[in-house]
Amino acid sequence: MVLEVKQPRPLWEILFSTHHTDIGLLYLITSITALMLGGALALALRAELFLPGLQLFQDPTSFNRFFTVHGTTMLFLWAIPFFAGVGNYLVPIMVRYKDMAWPKLNAVAFWMIPVGAALVWVGFADTGWTAYPPYSIIRAPGPAAEMWIFGLKILGISSILGSINFIVTILSCRHPDLSIMKISLFAWSILAVSLMTLVAVPTFAASLIMLYTDRLGISGFFNPAMGGDPIAYQHLFWFTFHPEVYIFLLPAVGMLYEIIPKFSRKPLFSYQSGVAAFVLIAIIGFASWAHHMFAVGMSFTEKTVFMVGTLAAVPASAMHVFNWLATMWGGRIKFAVPLLFGVGGIMLFFASGAGGVVNTALPLDFITHDSYWVVGHFHLILMGTVSLTFTGFIYYLFPLITGRMYNERAGQIHFVLAFVGVIFVFITQHVLGLYGMPRRIVDYDATMPGWLIMNQIATVGAWIAGLSYIIMLVNLIKSAGSGKEADMKDPFQIGEEYYDYKRREPHH
Amino acid sequence: MGHATIEWVYVGVVVSLLTWVGAESWNVERLVEHVPPEAETIRVIAQQWFWTFEHQDGKKETGQLHVKQGVPYKFELISKDVVHDFNVPDYTILMDAVPGRVNVVWNLFDKPGEYPIQCREYCGFGHATMRAKLFVEPFSQTAEAAEKPAEAQNATSAQAQAQAPVQTAGPPGTPLTILEGSSVQGSPSYDPATLTVKKGDKITVTNKDTLPHTVTSGTGPTDPNSAKQFDTSIIEPGATADIETTNINPGQYPFHCTVHPYMTGKLVVQ
Repeated sequence: MVLEVKQPRPLWEILFSTHHTDIGLLYLITSITALMLGGALALALRAELFLPGLQLFQDPTSFNRFFTVHGTTMLFLWAIPFFAGVGNYLVPIMVRYKDMAWPKLNAVAFWMIPVGAALVWVGFADTGWTAYPPYSIIRAPGPAAEMWIFGLKILGISSILGSINFIVTILSCRHPDLSIMKISLFAWSILAVSLMTLVAVPTFAASLIMLYTDRLGISGFFNPAMGGDPIAYQHLFWFTFHPEVYIFLLPAVGMLYEIIPKFSRKPLFSYQSGVAAFVLIAIIGFASWAHHMFAVGMSFTEKTVFMVGTLAAVPASAMHVFNWLATMWGGRIKFAVPLLFGVGGIMLFFASGAGGVVNTALPLDFITHDSYWVVGHFHLILMGTVSLTFTGFIYYLFPLITGRMYNERAGQIHFVLAFVGVIFVFITQHVLGLYGMPRRIVDYDATMPGWLIMNQIATVGAWIAGLSYIIMLVNLIKSAGSGKEADMKDPFQIGEEYYDYKRREPHH
Repeated sequence: MGHATIEWVYVGVVVSLLTWVGAESWNVERLVEHVPPEAETIRVIAQQWFWTFEHQDGKKETGQLHVKQGVPYKFELISKDVVHDFNVPDYTILMDAVPGRVNVVWNLFDKPGEYPIQCREYCGFGHATMRAKLFVEPFSQTAEAAEKPAEAQNATSAQAQAQAPVQTAGPPGTPLTILEGSSVQGSPSYDPATLTVKKGDKITVTNKDTLPHTVTSGTGPTDPNSAKQFDTSIIEPGATADIETTNINPGQYPFHCTVHPYMTGKLVVQ
């Protein structure tokens, strides 16, 4: 493999490269940087909420800007670039092709991300990551909101270009001996999310333009003062972003399909059921978007339809969990760091899935809607399942990328702290939501029963999780330079074949 | 696929559980959403960043809502600017107030007491402080109130009454103007920004903006001494309110608008 760090190459050679491993590396570095920056924003938000009143932030608007950029960063600059990076590394290897289908397009797709990121970070908008009108049209201060719109536009185009590349690579550049039912489930997950991206994202791309012309005042799509309807935006938005939840999730599911059989030293329980679940969710994922909008005043029939659509997406996820557990059952399991994160991810996946069923049950949704329950719920999926699994995969790919091993003990400490931290923050927030605390508030009434102590538990948990990721960063940087050399045939000593890295020298 | 049976059994169990959850939710929600025909209507008006309530008999309240125990109420929610969400966590009342739409939610309050009302949909600067109080009056007091409506209201809003200025006509005092466009953050708000009066002078506040405002002592809503010296409470657009300074000791007093906390000024009493 590349061994960029082992045999240092000039920086410009990596920056201007179109080789899939170099672009994969750039994606990974960008996404891990975004994780750290977005995490720092989250820690600031939690620190503010440790006590009622304003301490850290001078006025509520800066708090609002922080949670907006935190959300945007974590979703579009951490989750998506991370799986795109891993896909860049592994998909060509898995379909046995020399590179991605279109290497230059691949580089273009990557280099749009820093541009979009710069717009989002320099603007620092306060619209919330959902940018609901009319607030985002008539009240949100510019030019931050405009910069957010264009930043998201660029990030959306980037992910569409990346998806086209993945689809063509998997469908058309596959080795002739390799049927589609023989490629690994990780490649299947990338295929599924790429197809979903192509269907989902254009809707949001269109609504961004409509949002922009509404802000200019030349149209009134979402502005009730000009005859528009703000709810139309919410439909367009969630038509993209509910499937997007599965787009974040499925690559993590695919990664678990890589990690779990290897570290359990057992073949996968059922390949077919994994593929079936991917295909099912890629279709049913589009039938549930309006469950984010139960409280906007929809008719009873609409609500029923979307409740059924949401419930219908659950069995597919349950099949994945079954598949993993059945694979681990009776295996000679080696609890190396990647598997620790994987198992933690599965546990929290189950917890957040169960919480999701509560959300979608109509009468219960009106207790949890827009409360901290929802914050806890989607963070449990995105932080607990997606990010912990991604983190496990960082450790898993570390030997492939650097040719060295990370420090196992530091990795274990990272896992324990991150897992405990996540539970402290997000399980507590579920309860806090049941006690009625609304989301996105800078200040809260400390006389409300339980609010103060639960906010403080959540803040301490956030600090623990933040500390754990600093440990990871130090571990990775140190080990990349001076870790012990990895056995590239089987770096984790599990008797399973690692990726074929020798054929992957960049072609310059 | 020899090992498929156990997976089918598992999927069957998951699907039947979900079907039960779905059917039960459908049934409960259908009953919960049915508004009783005899329900009294209360119109809830949400705007940045306060609540106004209009009762069926025409009575208007701002920041407070008085309802009777055991009477079904139908809330019609409207918003004047952005999307808000009317939420009473203790009674699981939750519905968005969307500009351009009228959303309906209903409830019957069964326990007398004081409950928080809050906004649960992000609406900008003052989202966190967009709160109100719900007073559920016990059934017996409701009967008395029918005889002496004025007194009942005094009793429940005693605190507001104590601080409310005398809003009488009479000769206008030193003018303090709330400028048009004050609600936009960064625009000039109070004219003059520093008002100097002699102790005992009357101040007449005129709201020339298109939105309601207040003149309230303290540096902001989070100031523990907020509204201790003076508070006009809500002044509707075009309306005036008076502040008496006879009970205010000489000194400097910052004031702000409770609705738009970035509107600030200073009162100097000599």
